[in-house]
Amino acid sequence: MAVLEAIALAKFYGSVPAVRDVTFRLEPGHVLGYLGPNGSGKSTTVKMLTGLLQPTRGQVLFEGQDIQDDLVSYRKRLGYVPEEANLYPFLTGEEYLEMIGTLRAMSPNRMKTKISSLLELFSLFAHRHVSLGSYSKGMRQRILLIAALMDNPDVLILDEPLSGLDVTSVLIFKNLIQAFSARGKAVFYCSHILEVVEKVCSQLLILRKGEVIAYGSTEEVRQWIGQSSLERIFLQLVEDADVTQVANEIVDAVVSPS
Amino acid sequence: MNSWKHSLTARWKDYAQRPSVLLSRLFAGRMFHGGGELGADELDLGMGVVLIFLAMPGTLVSLLMFEKYGSLIRFLRGDGTFDPYIATIPDEYFFIVLSMSVSCAVALWRWNSIFPDRRDYANFVHLPVSLTSIFLANLFAIFALTALLTVVVNVSSFVLFPIAVVGSQGSFSRLFRFAFGHAVSVSLSSAFCFLAIFALSGALMACLPFRFYRKASVYLRFAVALCLLAVLATSFTVSPILSGGSKLIYLRLGGFPSVWFLALTETLWGNGSDVYFASLTRRAMVSLGLALLVSIIAYTLSFRRSFVRIPEFADVGPLPRSRPFPLPAVFLDATILRDAKLRACYRFISRTLLRSDAHLQIVLAFVALGLVVAAQTVNTAYHPGFSFTAQPPSVALLSIPYILSYCLLLGIRLAFEVPLDLSANWIFKLWIEPDGEQPRQIARRVLVTFSLGWLTPLCFLYSALLWGWLTALIQTAILIACSAVFVEVLLLKFRKIPFTCSYPAFESNSPLFLVAYLAGFVVFAVYIPQSVQWSVVTRWGAVIFIPVFLLSLVGLRQFRKQMLAMDKQLIFEEDSASGF
Repeated sequence: MAVLEAIALAKFYGSVPAVRDVTFRLEPGHVLGYLGPNGSGKSTTVKMLTGLLQPTRGQVLFEGQDIQDDLVSYRKRLGYVPEEANLYPFLTGEEYLEMIGTLRAMSPNRMKTKISSLLELFSLFAHRHVSLGSYSKGMRQRILLIAALMDNPDVLILDEPLSGLDVTSVLIFKNLIQAFSARGKAVFYCSHILEVVEKVCSQLLILRKGEVIAYGSTEEVRQWIGQSSLERIFLQLVEDADVTQVANEIVDAVVSPS
Repeated sequence: MNSWKHSLTARWKDYAQRPSVLLSRLFAGRMFHGGGELGADELDLGMGVVLIFLAMPGTLVSLLMFEKYGSLIRFLRGDGTFDPYIATIPDEYFFIVLSMSVSCAVALWRWNSIFPDRRDYANFVHLPVSLTSIFLANLFAIFALTALLTVVVNVSSFVLFPIAVVGSQGSFSRLFRFAFGHAVSVSLSSAFCFLAIFALSGALMACLPFRFYRKASVYLRFAVALCLLAVLATSFTVSPILSGGSKLIYLRLGGFPSVWFLALTETLWGNGSDVYFASLTRRAMVSLGLALLVSIIAYTLSFRRSFVRIPEFADVGPLPRSRPFPLPAVFLDATILRDAKLRACYRFISRTLLRSDAHLQIVLAFVALGLVVAAQTVNTAYHPGFSFTAQPPSVALLSIPYILSYCLLLGIRLAFEVPLDLSANWIFKLWIEPDGEQPRQIARRVLVTFSLGWLTPLCFLYSALLWGWLTALIQTAILIACSAVFVEVLLLKFRKIPFTCSYPAFESNSPLFLVAYLAGFVVFAVYIPQSVQWSVVTRWGAVIFIPVFLLSLVGLRQFRKQMLAMDKQLIFEEDSASGF
C-alpha cells in the first residue's frame, strides 16, 4: 500500500496553471526523485504534499486518507526540509530543536536524547549553545535536517536539502537517505543535483511546465528514454535549447567589444 | 518551603513547555528582536536594555516633579493653598502625552514584527500545530507585550509622581486616589496607542494588496509619527491652556486623544459629575474599546488574508519595479556624477535610502521632526495681527528651511550608519581605493542632492512669493552656504561607504556629540534666521556671510589635513551588531 499518493494533483493561480495532473505513488522503503527545471512546479507540488497549499483539483492521500481530513495527525508523521533555512537568529541551535520537539509533542526525555545524539552525529554539538544567526548556511541546513528527522517520521519530504552542505555532509546525506529508506521509510526527494538523485532514488518523476513527462522506476525511465545517465535523460526530456550552443552564445556576449 | 519552591518550579516548567505558551514566547521574542531575515545585521540591544530605555523618559520627568512639588520649594514659593488635583493638570497631561508617545514609538518601531510572517510560516505550518494555535499564540503575545510595555513605560511615574505631589500631605487615601487616577489614565492611554497602531497595521494588511502593503506602511508610519510628534510638541502649549480651568477648552481640544485620557484622570480624581469631563471620559473608554475590537478584527482578517496565503504569494512573485523617471539621473550623470565609481555608489546609496524600510524610516522620522518643529516655531510666533508678508520677515518664518535642512541632513547622515547585508560589501572592497577621498565625495553628493536638491527651489519660491526676489536670493544663498558647511561638519571623519559597516560602537564622547547636535540645531533654527533677518534689513549684511562661510570651509579643510592618514583610510567593519 502506498504511504503517500498524489492523484491528479493540480494547482492554478487564477487561470495560470502551476501544476497539472500530477499522479504518483510513494511506497515504504522507496525514494522518489522529483526533477524539473526552474518554474516547472516542483516547489508547488511540495507545498501541496505538506499541506501548505490546497490543491485546486486532485488529492494527496496519506495511507489512503486525504491529508486535508486531518492535517495535524498527518504532519505528526511527516518530516520536511524546506528549500530555505529561514530560522530565528535569536534562538540557539538547541533551543530551536527543543521548540520543534515540543511542538511535535515529543516527551521531554526522548526529545533531549534525540537532540543530543543527532547534534553529535551532525557535528553540531559544540555549537548547540550558539545563536542560529551565527551559523553558516551548511550548519543551518543541518539543523533543518535534524528538525525533520528527530521525531522518526514515516515520510520525509526534502526540497533541495543539499544547498550549502560541504562534501562530507553530502556524502553522509546520500548514505543517510538510503539507510533511512532501507528501514521502511518513504522519501520524497526534490532536487537539482542529478548525481545525487541518480544514486539514491529508486523512482523518478520528471516534471516540465507543470506536467509529468516521465514517471517510473529509475531503470524503467532509463530504458524508456534509451539513455544511460540521468543528465542525458534530463536534457533530452526537459531542455529545449542546446546547452553547448547557449554556453557559447554567453561567452560571445561577454567577450564582444560592444 | 523548599518543596513549595520545587513544586512551583516544576509547574512553571510544565506550563512553559506547553506548545501554545512556547509559541507565544517565541512570537514575543520575534517582536522584541525584530522580524529581519537571518544574516541581516539588525540592531539587537537585548530585552533588558530596551526596557531600561523605555522606562527612562518617565523616570526622568518624575524625578523633576520632586523639584517642582517638593514641600520646601512650595513653602519658599509661598504656595500656601495647594490643590494637587488642579495644580498638576499640566503635568498629568504631559505624562499622558509622554506615555502615548513612547508606546506609539515602540509600536511603530516594531511595526513589521507584530504579525506572523514568512519565517513563522516556514517553521511552523508543516508541523503538527493548527493554524488556530499560531493565531492565538501571536494574539496573546501582542497583548502580553502591550501589557508589559505599558507597565514598563509608566512604572516610574506610577510611584514617583504621586509621592512627589501628595507624599508630604500625610493622607494615605489622598495619595492612593491620586496614584490610582494617574496610573489608570497613563496605562490606558499607553494601551490605546499600542492597540490603535496594531489596528492600523492590521487594517492596512487586510485591505491592501500584499505587494503594496510594505511600501504603503512606510508612508503611513511617517504620517503617524508626524501626528505623534505634533501632539508631543504641542503638549507644552496645551498644558498651560488646560490649567486655565475653562471646561470649554476641554471641549475645544476634544479631538486630542490625550485630552480624553486627561478627562479620565479628572473623573477618577473625583470630578466625574462634571458634564464635560464625563463626556470626554466616555470618549476615552469608547475609543479604547474600539481600538481593541478593531485590532482583533483587523488581526483576524490580515491573518486569513496574508499569513494563510503566504505560499501562494511566494509562487506568484513580486511586482517588477517601474523604471524611474530618467531625466534627473541624466542631469546628475552629466554634472556631479561623471566618474563611473561615484555614479555606481551614488545609485546604490540613493536606492537604498528610498527602498530600504529601515533607512527610509529614519530619514522620514527626521523629516517629520523637522516639519513639527517648524510648525511649532511658526505657531509660537503667531499672534493676532501676525502677517506672513510683513517686512522684515519674521524669524520664525525664515527659520523653516533651515530647520528642515538641518533635520534632513542629520537624518540621512544617521541612516548612513545603519548597515545593510554586510556580506554584500565585498563589491566595494574590490572597487574603491582604500586611501581615496571617494567615500566623502559620494556621501557629500547624496546629502546635498537629497536635501538642497528640493529645498533650495522651494525656499526660493516661497521667499520670493512672500517677501520679494532680493530677500529670496539672500535667504536661499545663506541656506546653501550653511547647509554646505553643515555637510562638511557631518563628513569630517567620514571614511566608509554608507551602509557597508556594522553599527558604530558607543564611545565615551557619544553624549558630547548629542549635545553638539542640539547646539547645532539651535544655531540653525534661531541664530542663522536672526542673521538672515538682519541681512534682509541692512541689505549689505549678507556680504558678511561670505568670509564666515569661506573661513568655516578652510578651517574644516585644515582640520581634515592634520588628521593622521590612517584615520582617513576607507574602512569596512564587519563585526556583528552585538558590539554596540
